[in-house]
Amino acid sequence: MFAQILFILSALLAVAGALMVVFSRDIMHACIYLLASLVGVAGLYLTLGADFLAATQLVVYVGGVIILMLFAIMLTGGGREPSEKMKLLMQVPLMGSPRTYVLSFLALLVLSLTVGKLFVRVMEGFTSVDKLPYMGTVDSIGTLLVTKHVLAFEISSVLLLGALVGAAVIARPNKKRGAK
Amino acid sequence: MNSTVVHYLSQFQFFHQLLAMMGKEYLPLLSLIIFLLVVLIMLGALSLVGGLGTYAERKISADMQARYGPNRVGPFGLLQFLADGIKMFLKEDTVPRSADRLIFTIAPIFCLAGVFGTIAVLPFSSGFMLTDLNVGIFYLLGVSSLVGIGVFLGGYASNSKWSMLGGMRGASQIISYEIPVTITILAVVMLAGGLSLQTLVNSQGAAIWHWNFLHNPFMFVGFFIFFIGALAETNRAPFDLPEAESELVSGYHTEYSGMRFAFFALAEYIEIFVVCAVATALFLGGYHVPFGFGGEAPLGQVLQVVTFASKTFALYYVVIWVRWTLPRLRVDQLMTLCWKYLTPIALFNLIGTIIWLYLTNGRSIVALIFG
Repeated sequence: MFAQILFILSALLAVAGALMVVFSRDIMHACIYLLASLVGVAGLYLTLGADFLAATQLVVYVGGVIILMLFAIMLTGGGREPSEKMKLLMQVPLMGSPRTYVLSFLALLVLSLTVGKLFVRVMEGFTSVDKLPYMGTVDSIGTLLVTKHVLAFEISSVLLLGALVGAAVIARPNKKRGAK
Repeated sequence: MNSTVVHYLSQFQFFHQLLAMMGKEYLPLLSLIIFLLVVLIMLGALSLVGGLGTYAERKISADMQARYGPNRVGPFGLLQFLADGIKMFLKEDTVPRSADRLIFTIAPIFCLAGVFGTIAVLPFSSGFMLTDLNVGIFYLLGVSSLVGIGVFLGGYASNSKWSMLGGMRGASQIISYEIPVTITILAVVMLAGGLSLQTLVNSQGAAIWHWNFLHNPFMFVGFFIFFIGALAETNRAPFDLPEAESELVSGYHTEYSGMRFAFFALAEYIEIFVVCAVATALFLGGYHVPFGFGGEAPLGQVLQVVTFASKTFALYYVVIWVRWTLPRLRVDQLMTLCWKYLTPIALFNLIGTIIWLYLTNGRSIVALIFG
């Protein structure tokens, strides 16, 4: 019961945050709503018993990604006024002929049926949320990372090392230009 | 529900009497009510710590500069922080006309939420702890990074040069210093063999040579790296660049007034307490009472809380002492210190700890010499 309420609340937070990201006109506000959405996803992980994943979600997205995004937006001068493209889109009047409307209606129908079918399955499985036994996932994740998935683990670490070296190369002061 | 304090309280007679009065099927409700009561007590106590922190700061700084400090309100000026709080309440809550209203409003809340979120896992004693999460210290790191976002957004939303510079400095400082701190915590986690704060505390003992801080030479250095990094993460002098008065008026909270400003100030002082508490739990033996006085009985719990709090407040004093002793660093010196000194030393420490654990089978240096 308690876990279900928390699950629904975090799901609502995640979905509402995502919707607000799309509909927000200000890119900085979109970033804040994205933060809300990501925290909601962390809540989903937590209520489903994946505690380590939830904490990782918090550390990586809240602590790292969002701050980097905010920095990037600010340093590239993104900001106050909504972008020009957005204005242009708003100015275009309703376009299309009966044909496009019929086609889009059919597409919407197919899409909603598919999503509905997925949703039904999710709703059927939903009652089992409370019954999941609570147990720590840290040990098993650690063991799996260095036994079964050691290759993926190492490859991703090489990828990250490459990103680090690349960043260092880009950020290094250009000595030739400095000499002139 | 998975709460340490409710679990502890459920051993006593009154819990079962209450449960018998309400009926067996209300067990979750009773647990929730008790949990919320303890949370309220905890929030009140920590707000008090934050308020008294401002008093302590002013009094200790006055002492170091041969002044009196606040001495008018209440005995020894003890109620000064309440007077300040009432003044904050009554002040007009202004929002600059060109500020980003939504972000301006939400930034102080991020700061306070990030700090209060960490309380959930602070181990005051073996029973008095809101919840012993399996990923305790990792959760703490994640939640406390909300403070960085709050600082940055507060600076951005004010739309003023001083605030903007302060916010950028604050955010870059916090994410930089998180790296050596996290690596040092990783070394402690390896030593204890778990992320939960109970595990981390229980890997140590009450005697000073059982503390992690004296476990091996690498841990000794690690403690100082953790402490320096923690000072920088809480924006305290000598790392108080985000709010450097002589350069940036007052930094990221220049444009704030009234309760919103109080939120930032309160968040800062409580964060210092949280950081000192984490240092105590990780390195200074946590809540272990010498000779195990009191045991598991309520008296033992009280003694444990007292032990934990006295270690934490001793560190709190050191933080204030450092602030009023050392001059502020420059921005480039700050980044140099983090990336060229602390991070390599922390990495070296991590590897050193691994080798130590491999060679000595996890025994401490004192055990090696005397045992």
